[in-house]
Amino acid sequence: MAKFVTIGERLSTTAPAVNKAFTERDPEPILKRAKQQLDAGAVYLDVNIGPAEADGEDLMKWAVQLLQSNFDNVPLALDTSNKKAIEAGISVYNRSKGKPIVNSADASGRIENIDLAAANDAIVIALCNGEGIAKDNDERMGYCQMLLERGMELGMEPTDMWFDPLFLVVKGMQDKQMEILEFIKMLSDMGLNSTGGLSNNSNGMPKHIRPIMDSALVAMAMMQGLTSAIVNPNDLRLMETIKSCDVFKSNTLYADSYLEI
Amino acid sequence: MPFTAKSGKFNAKINTVEVGTGDKAIKLGGENVFPFYTFDDAIENAPKVGIEITDGGMEAEPECVQKLYEGCTTVVDMAKKAVTFDGVDFLSIRLEGGDPNGKNKSTEELIQLVKDVADAVDVPLVVCGCKNVEKDAELLDKAAAALEGRNAVILAAKEENYKTIGASAGLAYKQVVGAESAVDINLAKQLNVLLTQLGVDSKTIVMNAGTAAVGYGFDYVISTLDRVKAAALSQGDATLQMPIITPVASETWTVKESTATEEDMPAWGNLEERGIDMEVETAAAVLAAGSDAVILKHPESVRTIKTMISELI
Repeated sequence: MAKFVTIGERLSTTAPAVNKAFTERDPEPILKRAKQQLDAGAVYLDVNIGPAEADGEDLMKWAVQLLQSNFDNVPLALDTSNKKAIEAGISVYNRSKGKPIVNSADASGRIENIDLAAANDAIVIALCNGEGIAKDNDERMGYCQMLLERGMELGMEPTDMWFDPLFLVVKGMQDKQMEILEFIKMLSDMGLNSTGGLSNNSNGMPKHIRPIMDSALVAMAMMQGLTSAIVNPNDLRLMETIKSCDVFKSNTLYADSYLEI
Repeated sequence: MPFTAKSGKFNAKINTVEVGTGDKAIKLGGENVFPFYTFDDAIENAPKVGIEITDGGMEAEPECVQKLYEGCTTVVDMAKKAVTFDGVDFLSIRLEGGDPNGKNKSTEELIQLVKDVADAVDVPLVVCGCKNVEKDAELLDKAAAALEGRNAVILAAKEENYKTIGASAGLAYKQVVGAESAVDINLAKQLNVLLTQLGVDSKTIVMNAGTAAVGYGFDYVISTLDRVKAAALSQGDATLQMPIITPVASETWTVKESTATEEDMPAWGNLEERGIDMEVETAAAVLAAGSDAVILKHPESVRTIKTMISELI
């Protein structure tokens, strides 16, 4: 198996500093956060420009070129509800280090993002979700099948569809946690790749607790076959856990310095 | 549905490491397929074959090998002769006389010899130490300095002395650094990481992942080499994408199959043939498991292995 793929989540308009930098086209804060994430071991970087309805195309192109030219064509996940902005980003994207990821499609309003990924030979994150949260794994699997069929009909490789089980918050949905983990196993048994916003689980918890919860969950999810996650790579405990799990799974060969590489 | 053969070529590839200078320089590695899997993709650089001499000169050689060097009186004479044998890509000089528990020759004496040999031949060079980690740190540091500009392989830096040898061979004198681990895949990876962290360019590192003569714990050698190649290619592990160089002669010519006389072991047949067989079998097996170069002693072994390689690639 390949190593776990971390997608760094810290370039997001939900962070006021990043939002400001995107709006003002100020490279410094963007590059600083990108470097911090890559130094910590992120494989992909997520570029979340928000809805960006007004100038999304221009902004996404700017962000893609800025990041790839400064960081040796780092592979990127293009994250916005503005489809034209994703297409614009892909039009200037260099694939030498990995295909672009379209973040994301779902089985409801955003299903056309599958078509977009297929037309552009991109990877797509496919949320196993319709309207509202799926009530059980049968419903999740129904969405998964629907998304998978649509992608395959359009000529996509199944491995280019990274299915997102939708991680749920523990505070409020504690009873759903094992179900999500079981669903990851179902995806894995089908030979499918998977990813997701892992830190959803610890939303609303005290800051010092979150890395502990996230690390425990990533270990359990990797055991079930999760192949990727959208994470904060600057969470040291989490990254150490992922690297250790990669060793246990023989995704990478152990060496005493494994945490440093 | 028609059968479509799937190519087994990988996106990752073994680093290409150049050894030596000028027309005779050789390239090790570069492949993106398993050993000899030319049906999956072309292998640009065929595995290379080196010939080994030691500072012990004629006396140190088996009788059958001595005959082939007839007329040579010094190690330098032997070096000149060795590079004329068919199929020799590079010359390896092993400084075994440096061992404090053996002849304990001085570093000055051995380095002078290295210089004299280097001046006498223009093929790529490999310098092997005496296997004592402290003495090798001194010996190989000086050898790296003495061979500046020759782009030689310094074999090898081990866990105990990688800092000295890596800094000297890799950083100061820009030679190719050999990283040696004894059939321990985790240490093989770790040494590459440590050398790289020291600042040595990963494209100037080759590995000796350990060896043995066939029949002497050899299955561990093969599984180690197999796993190194699998991690390097199928997992794209950049810390294991260094080409592998395997000294074969120093293992196979000391075991009983290669030393017991025909009088003592009549059933085993001719001694020289046995020695060559042990060397050829070991070399063929490590090449098939992923070695990018082997170091042999008998010219007949060199010729045989060279033929095998050219038939397969």
